[in-house]
Amino acid sequence: MTQTRIAAVADIHMGEDLRGHFRPKLHGIEHRADVLLVGGDLTRHGTVAEGRVVADELRDLPIPVIAVLGNHDYHSDAEQAITSIMRDAGVTVLDDEATVMSLNGATLGVVGGKGFGGGFAGKCASEFGEPETKAFVRHTRQIADRWRQALHGLDTDHRIVLSHYSPVKDTLMGEPTEIYPFLGSYLLAEAADEEGADLIVHGHAHLGTEKGLTPGGIQVRNVAVPVIGSAYTVYCMNGA
Amino acid sequence: MDAPHYVAARVQRALAEDERTVELGIRVDVRGSQIFLRGRVSAPERRLLIEDVAREAAPGLSVHNEITLVEVREPGEEEHL
Repeated sequence: MTQTRIAAVADIHMGEDLRGHFRPKLHGIEHRADVLLVGGDLTRHGTVAEGRVVADELRDLPIPVIAVLGNHDYHSDAEQAITSIMRDAGVTVLDDEATVMSLNGATLGVVGGKGFGGGFAGKCASEFGEPETKAFVRHTRQIADRWRQALHGLDTDHRIVLSHYSPVKDTLMGEPTEIYPFLGSYLLAEAADEEGADLIVHGHAHLGTEKGLTPGGIQVRNVAVPVIGSAYTVYCMNGA
Repeated sequence: MDAPHYVAARVQRALAEDERTVELGIRVDVRGSQIFLRGRVSAPERRLLIEDVAREAAPGLSVHNEITLVEVREPGEEEHL
Protein backbone atom coordinates (compact mmCIF):
# COMPACT_ATOMS: atom_id res chain seq x y z
CA MET A 1 0.00 0.00 0.00
CA THR A 2 1.37 3.42 -0.92
CA GLN A 3 1.82 6.04 1.73
CA THR A 4 1.65 9.79 1.63
CA ARG A 5 4.32 11.25 3.88
CA ILE A 6 3.67 14.75 5.20
CA ALA A 7 6.55 16.74 6.69
CA ALA A 8 5.40 19.68 8.78
CA VAL A 9 6.89 22.52 10.80
CA ALA A 10 5.78 25.96 12.02
CA ASP A 11 7.21 29.01 13.77
CA ILE A 12 10.61 28.94 12.13
CA HIS A 13 10.85 32.72 12.84
CA MET A 14 13.66 33.46 10.42
CA GLY A 15 15.73 36.61 10.54
CA GLU A 16 18.97 37.69 8.90
CA ASP A 17 20.92 36.22 11.85
CA LEU A 18 19.49 32.77 11.08
CA ARG A 19 20.18 32.88 7.32
CA GLY A 20 21.62 29.55 6.21
CA HIS A 21 20.80 27.83 9.52
CA PHE A 22 17.51 26.16 8.54
CA ARG A 23 18.21 24.90 5.04
CA PRO A 24 20.91 22.36 6.03
CA LYS A 25 18.39 20.71 8.36
CA LEU A 26 16.16 20.02 5.35
CA HIS A 27 18.90 18.05 3.61
CA GLY A 28 17.57 14.65 2.51
CA ILE A 29 13.95 15.56 3.25
CA GLU A 30 12.93 14.03 -0.10
CA HIS A 31 13.85 10.60 1.29
CA ARG A 32 11.63 11.09 4.32
CA ALA A 33 8.62 12.99 2.97
CA ASP A 34 6.60 13.79 -0.16
CA VAL A 35 5.56 17.33 0.75
CA LEU A 36 6.54 19.95 3.35
CA LEU A 37 3.89 22.02 5.14
CA VAL A 38 4.95 25.22 6.92
CA GLY A 39 2.40 26.54 9.41
CA GLY A 40 3.12 30.24 9.67
CA ASP A 41 5.35 32.60 11.63
CA LEU A 42 7.98 32.28 8.96
CA THR A 43 9.52 35.56 10.14
CA ARG A 44 10.01 37.48 13.38
CA HIS A 45 8.91 41.00 12.44
CA GLY A 46 7.13 40.33 9.15
CA THR A 47 9.53 42.45 7.11
CA VAL A 48 10.26 42.06 3.43
CA ALA A 49 13.94 41.42 4.25
CA GLU A 50 13.00 38.54 6.56
CA GLY A 51 10.63 37.23 3.88
CA ARG A 52 13.59 37.02 1.51
CA VAL A 53 15.56 34.99 4.07
CA VAL A 54 12.68 32.51 4.39
CA ALA A 55 12.30 32.27 0.62
CA ASP A 56 16.00 31.52 0.22
CA GLU A 57 15.86 28.82 2.91
CA LEU A 58 12.92 27.07 1.20
CA ARG A 59 13.80 27.72 -2.46
CA ASP A 60 14.15 24.75 -4.87
CA LEU A 61 13.55 22.00 -2.33
CA PRO A 62 13.17 18.62 -4.07
CA ILE A 63 9.62 18.25 -2.70
CA PRO A 64 6.68 20.69 -2.92
CA VAL A 65 6.40 23.26 -0.11
CA ILE A 66 3.03 24.61 1.03
CA ALA A 67 2.91 27.44 3.58
CA VAL A 68 0.57 29.83 5.37
CA LEU A 69 1.51 33.04 7.14
CA GLY A 70 1.28 33.64 10.90
CA ASN A 71 0.67 36.68 13.09
CA HIS A 72 4.36 37.65 13.11
CA ASP A 73 4.31 37.75 9.31
CA TYR A 74 1.62 40.47 9.48
CA HIS A 75 3.47 42.70 11.96
CA SER A 76 5.03 45.08 9.39
CA ASP A 77 1.98 45.22 7.08
CA ALA A 78 4.07 43.48 4.41
CA GLU A 79 2.13 40.21 4.25
CA GLN A 80 1.30 40.65 0.55
CA ALA A 81 4.93 41.29 -0.34
CA ILE A 82 6.10 38.31 1.74
CA THR A 83 3.52 36.12 0.02
CA SER A 84 4.79 37.24 -3.40
CA ILE A 85 8.42 36.64 -2.46
CA MET A 86 7.58 33.14 -1.23
CA ARG A 87 5.57 32.33 -4.36
CA ASP A 88 8.44 33.55 -6.55
CA ALA A 89 10.64 31.04 -4.69
CA GLY A 90 8.27 28.23 -5.68
CA VAL A 91 6.39 27.96 -2.38
CA THR A 92 2.60 27.56 -2.55
CA VAL A 93 1.23 30.11 -0.07
CA LEU A 94 -2.39 29.50 0.93
CA ASP A 95 -4.62 32.36 2.03
CA ASP A 96 -7.91 30.68 2.96
CA GLU A 97 -7.92 28.56 -0.17
CA ALA A 98 -7.12 25.03 -1.35
CA THR A 99 -4.41 23.42 -3.42
CA VAL A 100 -4.43 19.91 -4.86
CA MET A 101 -1.50 17.71 -5.83
CA SER A 102 -0.82 14.12 -6.78
CA LEU A 103 1.74 12.27 -4.64
CA ASN A 104 2.63 8.60 -5.08
CA GLY A 105 -0.56 7.96 -6.99
CA ALA A 106 -2.82 9.49 -4.33
CA THR A 107 -4.34 12.94 -4.47
CA LEU A 108 -3.79 15.36 -1.58
CA GLY A 109 -5.86 18.46 -0.96
CA VAL A 110 -4.61 21.09 1.46
CA VAL A 111 -6.80 23.92 2.71
CA GLY A 112 -4.84 26.59 4.50
CA GLY A 113 -4.73 30.03 6.02
CA LYS A 114 -3.42 31.69 9.14
CA GLY A 115 -6.66 31.19 11.13
CA PHE A 116 -7.29 33.46 14.12
CA GLY A 117 -8.33 33.50 17.78
CA GLY A 118 -11.47 33.91 19.84
CA GLY A 119 -11.28 30.98 22.22
CA PHE A 120 -12.92 27.64 22.66
CA ALA A 121 -16.52 26.55 23.11
CA GLY A 122 -17.98 27.76 26.40
CA LYS A 123 -15.08 30.12 27.06
CA CYS A 124 -14.90 32.31 23.99
CA ALA A 125 -15.75 35.72 22.64
CA SER A 126 -18.86 36.23 20.54
CA GLU A 127 -20.02 38.81 18.02
CA PHE A 128 -21.60 41.04 20.63
CA GLY A 129 -21.01 44.52 22.01
CA GLU A 130 -18.37 46.93 20.80
CA PRO A 131 -17.46 47.00 17.11
CA GLU A 132 -13.88 45.99 17.98
CA THR A 133 -15.06 42.82 19.71
CA LYS A 134 -17.43 41.99 16.90
CA ALA A 135 -14.71 42.56 14.29
CA PHE A 136 -12.32 40.24 16.16
CA VAL A 137 -14.77 37.34 16.25
CA ARG A 138 -16.13 38.04 12.77
CA HIS A 139 -12.63 37.73 11.33
CA THR A 140 -12.34 34.18 12.68
CA ARG A 141 -15.86 33.25 11.60
CA GLN A 142 -15.24 34.45 8.06
CA ILE A 143 -11.98 32.50 7.90
CA ALA A 144 -13.77 29.36 9.11
CA ASP A 145 -16.47 29.91 6.47
CA ARG A 146 -13.86 30.13 3.72
CA TRP A 147 -12.18 26.95 4.97
CA ARG A 148 -15.54 25.19 5.04
CA GLN A 149 -16.17 26.17 1.41
CA ALA A 150 -12.65 25.20 0.31
CA LEU A 151 -12.92 21.79 2.02
CA HIS A 152 -16.37 21.24 0.53
CA GLY A 153 -14.92 21.67 -2.94
CA LEU A 154 -12.13 19.13 -2.45
CA ASP A 155 -12.50 15.65 -3.89
CA THR A 156 -9.14 14.12 -3.01
CA ASP A 157 -7.91 10.93 -1.34
CA HIS A 158 -6.50 12.89 1.60
CA ARG A 159 -7.50 16.26 3.02
CA ILE A 160 -5.35 18.34 5.33
CA VAL A 161 -5.96 21.73 6.94
CA LEU A 162 -2.86 23.89 7.42
CA SER A 163 -3.25 26.72 9.94
CA HIS A 164 -1.17 28.94 12.16
CA TYR A 165 -3.68 29.32 15.01
CA SER A 166 -4.94 26.25 16.84
CA PRO A 167 -8.37 24.71 16.25
CA VAL A 168 -8.40 22.90 19.63
CA LYS A 169 -7.32 23.28 23.25
CA ASP A 170 -5.58 19.88 23.38
CA THR A 171 -2.47 21.14 21.61
CA LEU A 172 -2.27 24.27 23.81
CA MET A 173 -1.61 22.28 26.99
CA GLY A 174 1.39 23.99 28.60
CA GLU A 175 0.31 27.49 27.62
CA PRO A 176 -1.36 29.70 30.26
CA THR A 177 -5.12 29.12 29.98
CA GLU A 178 -5.71 32.89 30.23
CA ILE A 179 -4.29 33.39 26.73
CA TYR A 180 -6.11 30.53 24.97
CA PRO A 181 -8.49 33.00 23.22
CA PHE A 182 -5.42 34.51 21.52
CA LEU A 183 -4.06 31.14 20.48
CA GLY A 184 -6.97 29.74 18.51
CA SER A 185 -10.66 29.19 18.01
CA TYR A 186 -13.06 26.26 18.02
CA LEU A 187 -14.66 27.76 14.89
CA LEU A 188 -11.68 26.46 12.89
CA ALA A 189 -12.19 22.90 14.17
CA GLU A 190 -15.93 23.12 13.63
CA ALA A 191 -15.46 23.92 9.93
CA ALA A 192 -13.12 20.96 9.47
CA ASP A 193 -15.37 18.60 11.45
CA GLU A 194 -18.36 19.56 9.29
CA GLU A 195 -16.61 18.92 6.00
CA GLY A 196 -14.13 16.24 7.07
CA ALA A 197 -10.32 16.14 6.99
CA ASP A 198 -7.61 13.63 7.85
CA LEU A 199 -5.29 15.99 9.70
CA ILE A 200 -5.05 19.58 10.92
CA VAL A 201 -1.55 21.02 11.33
CA HIS A 202 -0.86 24.27 13.18
CA GLY A 203 1.77 26.20 15.14
CA HIS A 204 1.66 29.45 17.19
CA ALA A 205 1.62 27.81 20.65
CA HIS A 206 5.33 27.46 21.49
CA LEU A 207 4.63 26.07 24.95
CA GLY A 208 1.90 23.72 23.78
CA THR A 209 1.70 20.00 23.08
CA GLU A 210 2.10 18.15 19.78
CA LYS A 211 -0.94 15.90 19.67
CA GLY A 212 -4.65 16.58 19.88
CA LEU A 213 -8.02 15.74 18.43
CA THR A 214 -11.03 17.78 17.31
CA PRO A 215 -14.43 17.03 18.86
CA GLY A 216 -15.26 15.25 15.58
CA GLY A 217 -12.15 13.05 15.77
CA ILE A 218 -9.75 14.72 13.33
CA GLN A 219 -6.09 14.41 14.34
CA VAL A 220 -4.48 17.75 15.22
CA ARG A 221 -0.72 18.33 15.40
CA ASN A 222 1.06 21.40 16.80
CA VAL A 223 4.34 21.51 14.88
CA ALA A 224 5.84 24.72 16.30
CA VAL A 225 9.63 24.23 16.38
CA PRO A 226 9.88 24.54 20.20
CA VAL A 227 7.20 21.84 20.53
CA ILE A 228 8.58 19.25 18.08
CA GLY A 229 12.23 20.13 18.80
CA SER A 230 13.28 19.40 15.22
CA ALA A 231 13.33 21.02 11.78
CA TYR A 232 10.17 19.11 10.85
CA THR A 233 8.23 16.03 11.79
CA VAL A 234 6.69 13.46 9.43
CA TYR A 235 3.14 12.08 9.43
CA CYS A 236 2.27 9.11 7.20
CA MET A 237 -1.15 8.48 5.75
CA ASN A 238 -2.07 5.22 4.07
CA GLY A 239 -2.92 5.23 0.36
CA ALA A 240 -6.39 5.65 -1.08
CA MET B 1 7.73 51.92 43.59
CA ASP B 2 5.42 50.14 41.16
CA ALA B 3 3.74 46.95 42.26
CA PRO B 4 5.60 43.87 40.92
CA HIS B 5 2.50 42.97 38.93
CA TYR B 6 2.77 46.17 36.86
CA VAL B 7 6.53 45.90 36.45
CA ALA B 8 6.16 42.38 35.05
CA ALA B 9 3.41 43.53 32.70
CA ARG B 10 5.53 46.47 31.51
CA VAL B 11 8.51 44.21 30.76
CA GLN B 12 6.34 41.64 29.01
CA ARG B 13 4.79 44.36 26.87
CA ALA B 14 8.22 45.80 26.02
CA LEU B 15 9.46 42.36 24.92
CA ALA B 16 6.44 41.96 22.64
CA GLU B 17 6.45 45.46 21.16
CA ASP B 18 10.13 46.44 21.02
CA GLU B 19 11.33 46.00 17.43
CA ARG B 20 14.55 44.41 18.70
CA THR B 21 12.73 41.51 20.32
CA VAL B 22 9.07 41.10 19.20
CA GLU B 23 9.03 38.19 21.60
CA LEU B 24 5.67 36.92 22.86
CA GLY B 25 6.72 33.73 24.59
CA ILE B 26 8.88 34.89 27.49
CA ARG B 27 7.57 34.53 31.03
CA VAL B 28 8.42 37.45 33.30
CA ASP B 29 8.30 37.12 37.09
CA VAL B 30 9.17 39.92 39.51
CA ARG B 31 10.16 39.08 43.07
CA GLY B 32 11.25 42.04 45.18
CA SER B 33 14.03 43.80 43.28
CA GLN B 34 14.67 40.87 40.96
CA ILE B 35 13.25 40.01 37.54
CA PHE B 36 13.29 36.44 36.24
CA LEU B 37 13.07 35.82 32.50
CA ARG B 38 12.11 32.30 31.41
CA GLY B 39 11.41 30.77 28.03
CA ARG B 40 13.15 29.42 24.95
CA VAL B 41 14.61 31.23 21.93
CA SER B 42 16.40 30.16 18.77
CA ALA B 43 19.70 32.08 18.98
CA PRO B 44 22.10 33.16 21.76
CA GLU B 45 22.02 36.79 20.53
CA ARG B 46 18.26 36.90 21.14
CA ARG B 47 18.76 35.79 24.72
CA LEU B 48 20.97 38.82 25.29
CA LEU B 49 18.71 41.23 23.38
CA ILE B 50 15.74 40.16 25.50
CA GLU B 51 17.77 40.80 28.64
CA ASP B 52 18.73 44.28 27.36
CA VAL B 53 15.12 45.23 26.61
CA ALA B 54 13.94 43.90 29.98
CA ARG B 55 16.64 45.89 31.78
CA GLU B 56 15.61 49.09 29.99
CA ALA B 57 11.94 48.53 30.80
CA ALA B 58 12.67 48.01 34.52
CA PRO B 59 15.74 50.07 35.40
CA GLY B 60 17.27 49.45 38.80
CA LEU B 61 16.08 45.87 39.10
CA SER B 62 18.46 42.96 38.76
CA VAL B 63 17.66 40.70 35.80
CA HIS B 64 18.06 36.93 35.99
CA ASN B 65 18.20 35.58 32.47
CA GLU B 66 17.02 31.96 32.65
CA ILE B 67 16.10 31.79 28.97
CA THR B 68 17.34 28.66 27.23
CA LEU B 69 18.05 27.89 23.58
CA VAL B 70 15.73 25.76 21.46
CA GLU B 71 17.62 22.72 20.29
CA VAL B 72 16.61 21.79 16.75
CA ARG B 73 17.42 18.10 16.31
CA GLU B 74 17.26 15.85 13.27
CA PRO B 75 13.68 14.69 12.59
CA GLY B 76 12.83 11.58 14.58
CA GLU B 77 10.57 8.61 13.79
CA GLU B 78 7.62 9.37 11.57
CA GLU B 79 4.13 8.91 12.97
CA HIS B 80 1.58 6.72 11.17
CA LEU B 81 -1.82 8.31 11.48
